[in-house]
Amino acid sequence: MGHGKYIAPPVGQYQVQAGEVLNLEFVVLPGESKDIDVSIDLVGPGAEAHLKGLYLCKADEKVNFRIVMHHRAPGCKSTQLFNGIAGGNSQVNFGGTIVVAPDAQQTEAYQENHNIVLTPEARVETKPQLEIYADDVKCSHGATVGQLNEDELFYMRSRGIPEKEAKTLQMLSFLSPVIPEGREEEILLSLHHVLE
Amino acid sequence: MLLEIRNLHATVGDKEILKGIDLTIGKGEVHAIMGPNGAGKSTLGAVLTGRPGYEVTEGSVLYNGEDLLAMAPEERAWAGLFLSFQYPIEIPGVTITAFMKAAVNAKRKAHGLPEMKTADFLKLMKEKMAFVQMKPEFAKREVNVGFSGGEKKRNEIFQMALLDPVLSILDETDSGLDVDALKIVADGVNALRSPEKSAIIVTHYHKLLEYVQPDYVHVLKAGRIVKTGGRELIEAIESKGFDQF
Repeated sequence: MGHGKYIAPPVGQYQVQAGEVLNLEFVVLPGESKDIDVSIDLVGPGAEAHLKGLYLCKADEKVNFRIVMHHRAPGCKSTQLFNGIAGGNSQVNFGGTIVVAPDAQQTEAYQENHNIVLTPEARVETKPQLEIYADDVKCSHGATVGQLNEDELFYMRSRGIPEKEAKTLQMLSFLSPVIPEGREEEILLSLHHVLE
Repeated sequence: MLLEIRNLHATVGDKEILKGIDLTIGKGEVHAIMGPNGAGKSTLGAVLTGRPGYEVTEGSVLYNGEDLLAMAPEERAWAGLFLSFQYPIEIPGVTITAFMKAAVNAKRKAHGLPEMKTADFLKLMKEKMAFVQMKPEFAKREVNVGFSGGEKKRNEIFQMALLDPVLSILDETDSGLDVDALKIVADGVNALRSPEKSAIIVTHYHKLLEYVQPDYVHVLKAGRIVKTGGRELIEAIESKGFDQF
């Protein structure tokens, strides 16, 4: 598979050959329930995969991510950043596994998944996993589930920014690292829907 | 009268911090509130600006004759209230420009004015930043993220200058500042002095009050104002502390 950028959530299997770079972007907008299964094999030395994902849920959506990143060759690099916001009584499941094969020395693999939960009814489960069978690797993963920061909200409101706009600003800054180029307006509009 | 506080009681959690505050502030007046740590100075600022977690259990606050306590924090800002935070909040991912543009335009909208043109806004912002000696590159910095203590306080005064409030409350804006930064803060407050504008300066030491001379000085102790006077009180506190009251 190639180097392309995919606008619709890409699913399926990808093999990345020596020296190739795979970029994938995932966007799940309010109202969409999605199962996103992606398996990536970095099969040639120096292959790279970079994944960015964003999801916004406001009602009863169910969004499931199952991402498997296989480092099968030496000197490969993978990065993953998934940030999402869950409102209403939506359910988000994030499962991300990084597997580093015995031969895949000098691997660099990073994965992060950050979530903001807007309501007590929304559920987020995040399970990043690392399976490392090589010894010369740089790997890290991290996951957070939090809420909008009350102190920040008050600070903004004390300066005259209405509550809804203050929340929008916060959410936009949270999502900004994963917003695909050129889709800022669309995401902003979706954020307004989430806060309705 | 701009502000009339009557028998104000407030709790944080289960603890009563303000135990019956009476305070009246007229237009054009600068009031200093001094008191030892834990007296309730910061709580007063928090209650006046509507911070969540502070509950008013008794009393009233009128601002320009209106019930201030019934207003949302943003409505209080639109009406001209401003608090310089003792501990300014960091907002990762939001630049000072985006933050202040949203604030200025929200206030304009509330007063039925059109949004400011971006070029005009940037020009105004540049002016006010220069006034508090903030470097221009701060416009692009995330709000208070990675700022030193002095830079945070200067950022508060910059916001105050930009939002041009009617009643400014400075909550320990002087703490942790060196003399140069203190002068900048003082100049910022003095520049806002006018017959229509008032300020409450909350502090526990006298330094700032040498540069911004208050019309009245109040001593706040254990949730009550125990003494009110003129500038002579500052000296009395300086020499004999708060135990005398």
